Order: sequence, then structure tokens, then C-alpha cells
Amino acid sequence: MNIAKYPVKITLYKKGEMIYFSQLDIMHVLERALRRTPLALFYTQGFNPHVKISFSKALKLGVEGKIEVTLYFTSKVSLDELTGNLTPQLPAGLDIV
Amino acid sequence: MVYSLFNVMDFKLFQKPQRYIGNEWNVVKKDHSNKVTICLGYPDLYEVGMSNLGLRIIYGALNQFNDVVCERVFMPAPDLARFLRKRNKKLFSLETKTPLDQFAVLGFNFNYVLNFINFLHILNLGGLPVKASQRRDIIVLGGGIDNPQPLAEFVDVFFLGEFEGTVPNFVNVLRKYKDKESRLKALSQIEGVYVPKFYTSVFENNSYKLIKDYKYAKLPIKRVYVRDLNTSFYPVKWLTPHTQIIHDRIPVEIARGCPNQCTFCQARAFYWPYRQRSISTIEETVKESYRHSGYENFSFLSLSASDYSSIEDLIDRTSAFFQERKIGLSLPSLRADDILGRLYTKLAKIKKTSLTIAVEAANESLRRDLNKKIDINKLFEAVKVVRTLRLKHIKTYFMFGFPQETGDDLAAIGVLLRKLHSQSGLSLNASINTFIPKPFSLWEGEPMQTEAVLLQKKNVILRNVRFNRNLRIFLSNPKKSILEAVICRADRKFWSVIYRAFTKDTEFSTYDDASFLKLWYNAIEEEAIDYRFYLEAKTDNFPWSFIETGQKL
Repeated sequence: MNIAKYPVKITLYKKGEMIYFSQLDIMHVLERALRRTPLALFYTQGFNPHVKISFSKALKLGVEGKIEVTLYFTSKVSLDELTGNLTPQLPAGLDIV
Repeated sequence: MVYSLFNVMDFKLFQKPQRYIGNEWNVVKKDHSNKVTICLGYPDLYEVGMSNLGLRIIYGALNQFNDVVCERVFMPAPDLARFLRKRNKKLFSLETKTPLDQFAVLGFNFNYVLNFINFLHILNLGGLPVKASQRRDIIVLGGGIDNPQPLAEFVDVFFLGEFEGTVPNFVNVLRKYKDKESRLKALSQIEGVYVPKFYTSVFENNSYKLIKDYKYAKLPIKRVYVRDLNTSFYPVKWLTPHTQIIHDRIPVEIARGCPNQCTFCQARAFYWPYRQRSISTIEETVKESYRHSGYENFSFLSLSASDYSSIEDLIDRTSAFFQERKIGLSLPSLRADDILGRLYTKLAKIKKTSLTIAVEAANESLRRDLNKKIDINKLFEAVKVVRTLRLKHIKTYFMFGFPQETGDDLAAIGVLLRKLHSQSGLSLNASINTFIPKPFSLWEGEPMQTEAVLLQKKNVILRNVRFNRNLRIFLSNPKKSILEAVICRADRKFWSVIYRAFTKDTEFSTYDDASFLKLWYNAIEEEAIDYRFYLEAKTDNFPWSFIETGQKL
């Protein structure tokens, strides 16, 4: 079964208390934040499906900086729509830029 | 008063700094002025403590009140603990980094006896005297404990039973009375509350007796419980950590207590009586807690999910919600025949991670003694079906160290494991635990076996297990089990051992089994306590016999 996949690229900025959270942690934070939005999420296929998120490169633990992330949806989502829904679900120290 | 520990201390210095940040999703942060300030402590690491449902219920229930602040503290890992001691800084709450000695009440969950030392560490690192009589203002409250007597010297107030229903009463006392003595007096009149300083404990004519020193204090003391789980508080604004914890899922209680009567089981008495939550309440809890958290894993929590009267309906009514959102659901404590029979097709639809089967004893005759009802033929049929479910592995539980157990009972464990593996094709995790005659279990009056006997039995089990990479065995260490038994069965005078063990543990070695056990046994020896006394069950009653559980057979 092929499900349509619409990627949206965003840049996050990690700072403050969030610098102590690893790439793996941030992945969970994003997955849960997305799950709290009404957006149509794209899940990975297979044995243990989860919300598909891809990172361009890892940021070292304990430093602030930019993270580039691609999020996937099953229908077209505009950047504004994504930002509007996701921003209120992100913890302080993790912002869409 | 919030002090600036966060600024002066760089959390990067410590392993897993995520543990100390306190910025979870749905965390409650309030200003402390003109409020009753409470800090809940858990005597283990963050990732363990955050997996405890009781802590979350109490945290949410207390924070419902506008004039109450409830924060959290966990046992810091050895690196932070040593740092605090060396720099003479006080241990702090996660939410506002407030030193512990600035709170009015510290409440602890004591669900594991070997963590008693950590409890004293937390008090000490927080700048407080560990002995109740030496603390002038702060009240230390303890709950989640079977036998409070070994901790009576350290804890001001014990809460016996389920705290949810008593929260308003408790808060009212703290609002109305401001000094410690009058607070303790008022609390001691609430059902389920035990204030050790208002009683003298005596042991004469082979039995334990408690004598009241304050006439309004309760005696006997009844454990209290929530009547209706559909109206009691549930923390749906789920505190969602930004890092992984041990049980990384939302447990939704479907029932509390257990209708079975397994003789070795303490949980049955501890959570007595058996109560169920309605399907609509469970559905509501699932939806609300998901909406607030976005958690990708849930479990239906109960001591025995199979006994939930409408488990099929429950799965029918909730599975679409889980499936559509690719949420994992685990159903621990299902009976084998249910997996085979009525639940098979339903379970196949849900993303599941593991299956747990508590066999307890490999032979039917021993299982009958334990009152553990499992049809082993059905179990094997179920195991064949399990092949077709999307499971990673099967977890099994066994016990050993029963007085009536034979060599054959022990050897049969290995045989059963071999058969389970060959018929399921799945890897197995087997936990084989020592029988401990726990307070309030039906067999609280059985003797605990000696270390020599237990070691010999352990060898018989191991000799009959065929090891391969699909089998992982966790066999408990008899020395550790005996220590656990001693501490949970001890009386008031055992405080000196706990205190000595705490003072010897200068390096915070709690997470290293070998040195930790040595430290405890040395403390017992130095205090010249005959620990076998607590294990032989030769007294007419027990140190905890002043507590009424209300359970009937």
C-alpha cells in the first residue's frame, strides 16, 4: 500500500534548557509534539511504525544551535500551517526559525 | 526562596543532565509565596521514579489546589551527589531548583526497601537531619510501604494505603495548622495515617504491641483505599519527559487489586479490594492523556488484565484509536488461555511489543499450593498462536525458594523454558525470583529459606537450563533477597542498621550490587542484629500487625 508522502523542511533552534537533550531525545520531543497537533502525520511502515522525521546533521549535546529537520505528512501541509500548529506544542528552548 | 543553583552549576558536568532539568511537557511551576510547599521525593534515579504511577497521581492531585505547590526530587546519580557534598550545596527540587530544606513537607514513595538508604541520602543532601525528632519544622511523609516500622525513626508521618481520597483532608490540615506538633496531632486523627512518635512499640510474650501515647491517634490503623476508580483523580495532563525513562509509556489503570488468591502475593493485599474502572472512563483517560502528551505507547495496567470483566469490549472500543495513530499498546498480566482464545484476533491488530506470562512454578502440584491457576496445556497452545502475533519476545516469571519445593520442581523450570522456546520460536526472557514471605501476603507467616539452601536450589535450576542466545535468564541473588526480606519484615529497632548502612555509603554505591550488599551486611553485623529472627516467623504476630488491610478470603 502506497501512502502519499509530503515532506516539509524546517529549521529549529535549540537553546537554554533544551541543550541538554540529545538528538534522540529531540526526535521523541518532535514526534510527541506532532502527535499533539491535528496534522495528518506520515508514519514509517513496518514492524514498529513511528512518525517519520529526518535530521540533516546532529548537534552536539550541550551546545546551542540550528537543527534542520524534515517532517512528513500524508497530505499537503504549508509551512505556515505547520508552524502555526507545531509552535505551541514545542518546549521552551526549541523554536522554529 | 529559589536560589540560583542552576546558574552556578553547569549540568554539562554530569552524566545524563536531562534528569535534572525539570522542563517536562505539562510540568507545573508555581510561585511559592503564601502557598503550602510540598516536594515529592523518590529514592531512585529520575528515569525509574518517573515510571511510577503513584508519584504522578499524587503530584497531579496536589497541584490541583491553587494554594499548594508540589514539586519533585529524585535520587541524584553518584556524580551529582558527590559534587553537591563536596561543594556544600543542597539538593534541590527539579521544578524551581529550590533546596529541599525550604519546603514545608517532603513526601516519599518507599516502594523498594533497598532504596531506604537513598531516602536518607536525599534528606541529608537536601540539608535536613535524617531523624524525625531532629527536624524542627519540616514534615517528612512516607507512603507506598507495607511495613513502616523499620523507618519509624526517620519518618514523621506514614500514609498507609491509597492517598488520592485523603489529599483534601491532608491539605486542610496544612492550611489550618502551622507548627509541626499541631500538624502531626491533626494528621494522626485521619484514617490511614500513622505518626510513629505518638506510639510506643513493645515486644513481649512473643508478640508485638503498639501503645498509644497520644489519646486521639488511631489504633489499630486501617489502610485506606479509593472506593470508586471512575471518580478518583487520574493525571491525564501527563508529565511527558523529553528523554527516555524506564517504562516509557502511559499506564492506564483498568483495575486495582486482584481477585485471585496467590499465596505468595503481596500486591493482592496491598491493593485490596479489587475494583475496576469502567470502559468509558478508560477510553476518556486514553484520549485525554494522549491529547495532552502525544505519547506513542500505552499500557492497560492491572494486576491481572484477564480478570477485567469486559476485556474484549475494552479492546474493541479502544483499538481503533490506537491503530489509527500507530500507538503501541501493551497488555501485561494476561492469562495464557485468553491470548489463545477470545483475544487472539483482537491483539493481532494492535502494535504490541512483548508478552508476559507469569507461570511462577513449573509443576502443576506446586502451582496448586501457590493457588496459581494456569492451564499449562492451554499455555502451550497459546504459545503456538503467539508465533503469528507481532511479538519480539516472551517474558516469563518463575519463583523458587518455597519450603515444600522438590528438586523436580526446580529442574522442571529448565524443561518448561526449552519447550516454550521451541514451540513459540521466539526468544525468551525468564525472571526467576526468590520467594520472600512479604508482609500482608497470605504466606507472611512462612519462614524464608537460608542462603545455603537457596544457593543449592539455584544451582539445581541452572544445571537444568540449556543456555543459548534466545534465552535470557535473570535469577535473583539469594543474598539480596534475604536482605530484602529482613528489611521488609523488621521492627523499629532495625533503624540503627539502616542508619549505619547510610553512613557507610559515602560513595553513593547504591547502583553497584556487590559493594552495596557488603555494606548492608556489615551494618547488620556491627549493630549485632540477629537477622534470622525476622525470617523464621516464630513470633505470634509481626511488627506490621497493628495495620488492618481489611482483606477477606
